[in-house]
Parts: sequence; structure tokens; C-alpha cells
Amino acid sequence: MKKTTRRTFLAGVAAAVPVVATAAVVPDAAKDNPAFKTCPRATGGKNAHRFPQVLVQDQYKQKAWFYEDLLADKLVMVSFTSVKGEDYYPMLSNLVKAREIIEDRVGKDVHMYTVTTDPYRDTPEDLKALADKYGAKWRFLTGAPEDIREILASFNARGSLYGLTWIGNERTGRWVKKPSQLQPLFIAEAVGRLSTGKQHKPFLVDMLVKNTISRGVPGTQLLAAVREEVKNQ
Amino acid sequence: MAKRRDLLKAGAMAVASTPAIFGGAALPRMAQAQLCRPEGIRSPLTEPDSPPVRNYTEPLYIPPAMQPVDPATLTPPPDPNRHQRFDEFQPAKHYVQRFTEGLWNYHPDLSRLNPLNAVFGGFGSIAWMMNGATPGETLVARYGEPVFVRRYNDLPSTENAYMPIGLPYTSTHLHNAHTASESDGYPMDFFAPGEYWDYHYAMMYARNDPREALASLWYHDHMVDFTSTNVYAGLSAMAIFYDDLDTGDENDPNPEALRLPGTYGKYDNYLILHDVRFDQNGNPAYNVFDTDGHLGDLITVNRKVTPYMEVEPRKYRFRIVDGGPSRLYELVLSDGAEMIVIASDGNLLEEPVASKSLVMGPANRHDVIIDFSRYRPGDTINMLNIMEQINGQGPTGRRLEGPDRMPVMQFRIKPLEGPDNSRIPDFLRALPPINLNEVVAEREWVFDHDMGLWTVNHEFFDPTRIDASPQQGTAEIWTFRNAGSSWAHPVHVHFEEFQVLEWNGRPATGVLRSRKDVAMLGPNDVCKAFYRFDDFLGRFPIHCHNNVHEDNAMMKRFDIVPNKGGHHGGDSKWRR
Repeated sequence: MKKTTRRTFLAGVAAAVPVVATAAVVPDAAKDNPAFKTCPRATGGKNAHRFPQVLVQDQYKQKAWFYEDLLADKLVMVSFTSVKGEDYYPMLSNLVKAREIIEDRVGKDVHMYTVTTDPYRDTPEDLKALADKYGAKWRFLTGAPEDIREILASFNARGSLYGLTWIGNERTGRWVKKPSQLQPLFIAEAVGRLSTGKQHKPFLVDMLVKNTISRGVPGTQLLAAVREEVKNQ
Repeated sequence: MAKRRDLLKAGAMAVASTPAIFGGAALPRMAQAQLCRPEGIRSPLTEPDSPPVRNYTEPLYIPPAMQPVDPATLTPPPDPNRHQRFDEFQPAKHYVQRFTEGLWNYHPDLSRLNPLNAVFGGFGSIAWMMNGATPGETLVARYGEPVFVRRYNDLPSTENAYMPIGLPYTSTHLHNAHTASESDGYPMDFFAPGEYWDYHYAMMYARNDPREALASLWYHDHMVDFTSTNVYAGLSAMAIFYDDLDTGDENDPNPEALRLPGTYGKYDNYLILHDVRFDQNGNPAYNVFDTDGHLGDLITVNRKVTPYMEVEPRKYRFRIVDGGPSRLYELVLSDGAEMIVIASDGNLLEEPVASKSLVMGPANRHDVIIDFSRYRPGDTINMLNIMEQINGQGPTGRRLEGPDRMPVMQFRIKPLEGPDNSRIPDFLRALPPINLNEVVAEREWVFDHDMGLWTVNHEFFDPTRIDASPQQGTAEIWTFRNAGSSWAHPVHVHFEEFQVLEWNGRPATGVLRSRKDVAMLGPNDVCKAFYRFDDFLGRFPIHCHNNVHEDNAMMKRFDIVPNKGGHHGGDSKWRR
């Protein structure tokens, strides 16, 4: 991220503290049930009510409201790992490959985030080291453990290992999830399918099924072919 | 009626040997709740309830049969080169369907809440529809009369859609017709708004064997990653195949005809069940972040919330399908009366089975005959769901009692309008023989959970990977194994029906002794099934029909390939 952008971003955070909304409707089943609770929800976007109203910070210690600043009105790819978890269930090298396929778009109209599943341990410094180790050029998020836990819960993520990457377009409210270890092609394809306007590409993989994969082209060549395909369109 | 009495006994046994989908420890309700952490409660119970709706106040919607069009009006005309064996099975009937977004009146109590009424100039909840309705028109077809359907995707683009869920791409699967791959609705064979796709249904028996006849089918969206939401949005409907045995005419003079209650729309009706949750505006609500499954709090039958149907005191045939997305049902009549099951997954049994309840999971079908002649005009009988389910994974193992039972629909008895010439024959349709000498391969498919998603053989769906390539003209034994001890997976394999060789090590009895296309695996269940692969080539999916699991990677691809031995009936010149 460029410095100027970061400064603008900081100003934005300071200026616009989002309104905190509380859950308006409690289902009958949850009433008077100690196992259920309500928590402040974000507002203003298609699926805002699904997300907690919390602050996070990235590996550069830049703070942001999780929903309003990072998700609302954006096309995003959200993955989950931790310094420790990456040893047990590695996914960052795969996501780096997925990013390469759509690298022209990342940081412009596609935003990538990795949320730590271990907010108790992972500091911004730890996450910076982790990102740098894999050459992961996107934002790694941590924050107060209880806040991060709310974020994890909103994606149905449990435990310190969670192998899903969620791709969402909050302009249209559509989300899909892909296993983070899946062939990067499919992760990139989901981004194309959820994109709108010029960037919308519903058929990326199937075209390649017919043209490339069925001919037994090995993975590395396939990736190159995909990148070529994306550039040409 | 000695035979019938025997059947009753068989029915009781069938209930006892029904696969154990009632796994799950029977924990008290409060204890169950304590298991869930506050911030991650694994249950749709945290979703807001639907607005209040009065039960049994809306009449059942009976979708009309699809009406053929003149093929000359199709521009461009059907392309024979797009379809396997098109010349051999030239369409006798042509149909056109248009998928659109609009309003559907699930229930006036919901429709009147909707601010979109003003936008569309109508009255209803937001819906994706086929020819202006959901369920779409019923495809009523006959064996020997091939069908051609051109489906237009006239849905709005994602950014212009009012439907908050789903993706306006579609691929339509006619479940579980014996259909070539290109017409089968493979998840990647989807088409965009403004495009169309041609479907050719050969209306041939598998292996040209009338014992392979299918009777009760349904067609629904099969879009990759979005099947659950697209079906939920409205893209589902029914299909009925008749032949010379099951003719749909209860007055058929042909002595071979079964004369089951008919005709379609009168005494032969289709009931498609979807459980839906509605938001405060009366529109369908869905949590896309819950990968376990979606549960609605209201049962819709033919997309009407808990409707009623006026029936005469006589026999009716009901083809009941669990349309999903995730709920399993145990259906009972409020007076505890018996229903006569005549078909499993749309295929006639050899002998009818009497049962007081119907256990079914997503995509399972049961054809039942209910004899209302024991009631008098003015009586009402309710159909209820007594299976408790608190999350999308599967049932809890408890039964609902008293007022907790979920209303499904109501039958209101009206005066008889004519003689009931229908029958419940003691023998329906013979099963095709199982010849284990034909088996050339055995495969195992393990259904499990990993990293918040669902797996088959420990892997996530990769549409480019072929995990099995059965040769045309051969038989195989497939074993479906549920590795989970607390969830259920209705396993569905496209294109071919199977017969159960063993369920948890025991031979199939009762309703399980049938040709099926959905193996409703309860916790730790193992189903060993006999398959044959014939007639068409191409790629087909095998997947969990809990649509939410299916969209969450619980799918595999298998390809039927030409037989190197060369003794098959298919068209070997066909290449995709």
C-alpha cells in the first residue's frame, strides 16, 4: 500500500466512526436463553448485519473498521490463518498463486485480507513477518481477541485452523467460499464470477477445461495459460 | 385382501429396518444449547423468525402441465449436433421455459409486508420463477415421446437483481432422468442472463428395459456453488413420466395398466416441500455464511406456506419430494392413519408398503396413496413433520410432539364427485435383476467434513478432475460411507439408478428394496449399491443433496467413457 493512500485511509477512519447498531430482532428460540447473546452489528451494506462492529489492525498497524472500511461496497477475498496454523495447514503460498492470476486487480478493485485465527498470539509484527515470508502482498488483520473472535464467528470459522477463503462482493451481497488449498485457478475464478461490469468472467475455468486441462497440460503451464487468458480478456 | 395384511406386516418391518438417521445423542434441549458457544452457535435458531403466518388458509398451488410449442417457432432451430443420439430420439414435444425474477405469493400474510409490491406492480415475495411461477410447470411426459426444452435465462444481472441471494446463472437438472451429460444440468454447464440452453430428454428406459422406468422426477437449478440459493429462490419444479404400465389414467381399459389414482392435477398430485425463512418484508431470507445447512421455520408445499387442499373421500396419489435445502422430514397424518407407499425416489416398488410415517431427506421422493374414503365431508386431516432438526447438519434424533409438530398442509374432505376406479395393485413393477457377474469395479465414496467444508473421499470438489470413469456397458459396486457420526448426507448420483445390495451390512427390505437415486445416509451409515452404466457418455456429478453441503464442495465428477470392449449400445462417435 502506498503511503499517501494510507494517510487518506487513516483520515477516513478518524472522520467516520460508524454508527453502532444492535440486533433489532431476537428470534423466539433465543429469548431468555443464556447460550445466545446479541452484539453490536455493522450497518450500511448488503450483509452488514452479519458482521460485528469492530476495529482491526493490519501488519502495518493501520487501523480500520472491519466491515465499513474493509468489506462494504467492495469485492474481497478473506482468508484465515495464523503464524502457528500456517505450519499445520499451509495456505499462503497457494493464495499467493491465486493472487498472481488476478494481480492486475488486487489492491484496485479486489481487496485481499487474511484474518488471524490466533489473535491471542499474533501481533502485527508477527503477521508482517509471516506475510513477508511468503511474499503475500495483502493485508493481514489482527485485533482485540474478542473482536477477532466475532469476525471468525461471522464466517463460521472455529478453532485455530480454518481452511476456507471467502470471496464476496458486497456491492451485490454475493459470497462464495473456496478451500484455501484448492487449485488457485478456482479461487481466482470465483473472483471473476462475482465481479460485475467489465471484470465479470463467469466461465474462466470451464473454457480452460475444454481447451487446456482436458489436454493434460501440467499445473505450472496451466497457471501461465490462465494468466494469459485473463490479460487477453 | 390377505396380501394387503401381509403388506402391513412388511411395512412395520420396513420401519424397523429404515436406515438409522436418528443418530445423535438425545440431549435435553437446554444441554444442547449449552454446547454452542455464544459467538459461534452452530444453529439457525439465531436467525430471526419469519413473520407470523396463519396456517391452512391458502389453497395448494397445483402447477399446470407444460404446454408444447410448435418447433418451427424455435429460432434458431434445435441443433442435433449438440446432443447425443438426437436423431435416434427425435423430439415429439417441444417446450420453452423462461426464467424470470418477479413476485410469488407464498402467503398473503407475507406478501402484504413487501415494499417490492410497488416496484413490480404485484403482490408477493421476491422469487425466481419459471414461466412466471414457482414451482414451474410440471413436465408431464411419456416414455417413447422424446422431449426438447429450450430454457431461456431472462433473470436480471446480479447487480440488477432484487433477489438478495443466489447467482442469476442456471443449469437445470432433471432429477434423475436418464439424460445425456449435455442435457443433464452439469454444474458447470450454466448459462447467463440473456442466454439459453437446450435440453434433450430421450424418454428412453435405461437399457431399454421397462423395469427401469422412472415416474416421479423433479427439475431444479444445479449452478455450481449456488444451487442451494438458486433453488431456494424458486428454481424448482416437478416432472412425471408415464408409460404403458403407469399410465396416469385410473380408467385405463388396458388390462396391463396399473390404474393408480390419476390424472395429473386431479387425483395424481405432486407436493414439493421447501422449508423457507422469511424476513420482515416477507422475502426469503438465507444465511450464506452458514455452511452446515439452511433451515427454514415455515414449510412450503408447492411454494405456498402450509396450504390446504380440498380432496374427495377417495384414493389420491401424492408424489412427495423434499426439495431442501437441508431439512429432513418425518411426515405423518394428524390422525395417525397409514399411507401406502408405492414408489421410492420416484420409482415404483415391486409391492406397496403401508407406513404411518415417511422419513425423507433432501431430494428423496415418496409416492404414496392416501385413501380419504375413511373420512366424511367436512373432516380435516393435517400433514405434520415430526422430525426435530436444529441445524443443517442433520436431525437431532428426537421426535416433535404435540404443538411442536411442524404444520405441513391440510386436507379438507369435500363430497365425492364420481366413482373411484383407481386401484392399489398388490404388485407394481418388477425390479431389474442384479447380475453381480457383470461387476468390473468397486468404488468407495466417503462423505466427511474438513476445515469447515464438506468432502468426498477427503477432497473438495474440483470440476476438472475425473474421479471415476466407468465404462459404458459395465456394472460396478459403489459404497457410500458417511464418516460423520452426527450428520446426515443424502447422496445423489446423476444419470443411473442404483439398487441397495447392503445397508449397514444388511440386505434392503421394505421401501429400500427399490431403485433409488438418493442414498439418505444417517450418521455412520454405509450403503453398498449396484450400478450399471449405459446408453450415454459424458460427465456427471455425484454429490450430497443437502444443497448447502453440495455448494460447499461435497461433490465429485465421474465420466462414463466408451467401452474398450466395444459391446455397448451408445453412440461411440460422440465427442464433447
